[in-house]
Amino acid sequence: MPRNNVAKRPRLTNERFTGRMIYYTARALANIRQNMLLGVLTVGTITLALLIIALFLLVFVNLEGVTEDWSRRVQVTAYFDRELNPQEVVAFKAKIAALSGADRVEYVSREEAARRFRARLKGQESLLEGVSAEVLPSSLEISLRKESRNSVAVAAFVAGLKKVPGIGEVQYGDEWVKRFSAFMNFLRLVGALLGGFLLMAVLFIVSNTIKLTIYARKDELEVLGLVGATRFFIKAPFLIEGILHGAVGALLAIAILTACYYGFMHNAGNFLSFDPAETGLSFLSPGYLAGLLCGGVMIGFLGSLTSLKRFIS
Amino acid sequence: MIQLHNVVMSYQRDAAALNGITLTVPRGDFVFLTGVSGAGKSTLLKLLYVALKPTRGQVVIDGQNINRLTRSQIPYLRRSIGIVFQDFKLLPNRTVFENVAITLEVLGWSRKDIGKKVFHILKQMGMENKMNSTPLRLSGGEQQRVALARALVNDPKILLADEPTGNLDEENKDQILNIFREANIRGTTVVVATHDRRLVGTSHKRVVVLDKGQIVEDSHAPQ
Repeated sequence: MPRNNVAKRPRLTNERFTGRMIYYTARALANIRQNMLLGVLTVGTITLALLIIALFLLVFVNLEGVTEDWSRRVQVTAYFDRELNPQEVVAFKAKIAALSGADRVEYVSREEAARRFRARLKGQESLLEGVSAEVLPSSLEISLRKESRNSVAVAAFVAGLKKVPGIGEVQYGDEWVKRFSAFMNFLRLVGALLGGFLLMAVLFIVSNTIKLTIYARKDELEVLGLVGATRFFIKAPFLIEGILHGAVGALLAIAILTACYYGFMHNAGNFLSFDPAETGLSFLSPGYLAGLLCGGVMIGFLGSLTSLKRFIS
Repeated sequence: MIQLHNVVMSYQRDAAALNGITLTVPRGDFVFLTGVSGAGKSTLLKLLYVALKPTRGQVVIDGQNINRLTRSQIPYLRRSIGIVFQDFKLLPNRTVFENVAITLEVLGWSRKDIGKKVFHILKQMGMENKMNSTPLRLSGGEQQRVALARALVNDPKILLADEPTGNLDEENKDQILNIFREANIRGTTVVVATHDRRLVGTSHKRVVVLDKGQIVEDSHAPQ
């Protein structure tokens, strides 16, 4: 075999970071092309996993919206046995607004109270014949901030409110607030447990799938090691591949979720007894969608990183 | 080029696979390691490409004591060693060209230079017409020539082969042996582990016989 007369001294490709990254990315893309079946398996698993998480999030976000609506019913009412003049209303409002936890304060005059009462007894207005607005008390209805709509915070707020000079009777439906607080705590616990288990199951399945796909290519890792590739040189294309698989899986999950959501909203009226558009079902916010995309990228990256550790010694 | 001094290699609690091996292979030498299965040939080769480190004793490759090499230094030593196996270890989903190019990609060569050099070595191996085939479409002899092209494309200082003709017919064995000889003439130190008596008998090269992890015969040991 004659000695080569081709350039003996290797001319190195661009050794700077960008040059190497271009090489690793090109290698990762070539690997994806050459291992299409394994890639489809990985992307499919990540898509399904993130779709499960996304559906859970969708249910959780909407449930939170419903409970947010319910929690608005947690309000404190201070009753007065006389009509307040505008200056007094302004003064009370300012004092109450200064209390920690107060959100909105609304004055309900006797006239307004009577109007509401009549509205509530619609159809049986005859019961109110002869009853004047004077028998009803005027009141200040105080809605609370979201974080103060639990039994402990409400009790603390009421204690503070009672110290305001001029405030007499205060009602806040403490039994209802207690039950609502307990229900919310239960809901959060169940949500956290379910979400936690779901996340663990999903991570376990995805990481094992990635491990299997990398195991299927362990010969490639071995050959690269034998020809003198550094660990980073071997790992980098696999990690980029993992990131791309994760990103594609997440985008597919988001696309399927979007299609399912809008498909349901447009067609569910045909087979359900109510129109879902009127229930106020909302889609995931852009923040959640960005979180899913980042989650996909992280699952792909970390799954590949931990799996590679097992095969590169 | 290669020095082993009192090397002992044990796999966990098993009996020693190598027991007190002392061997010197000068630069440019051509050595056949022979012996029955389980004699320790493959273990000795694994020490030479640092897939293992000795339990006791010293192994010096190209002036570097492998006991002192850190994990990150091993790849740089391997770049001066070409390795060939009985099962070829070619990547089935890459073309012949890509399989050979791996060695130069690792070294950071430019695409243009890789193209020239890989074409050249494949031409020397008579494989230039199969550059775009995948290994599974090749015969055993052709696959081994591709594996040899991958091992020799960067002109390594040392060429190690573990039963390189184990899966080949007589004609292909001769071709492969010729490639080893030519690489040796160009200055590469060659160590071939084989139990093929015919290959060893016709080569007239140095023969080191191993048995139960010990050297029992060395035909041309350097003085």
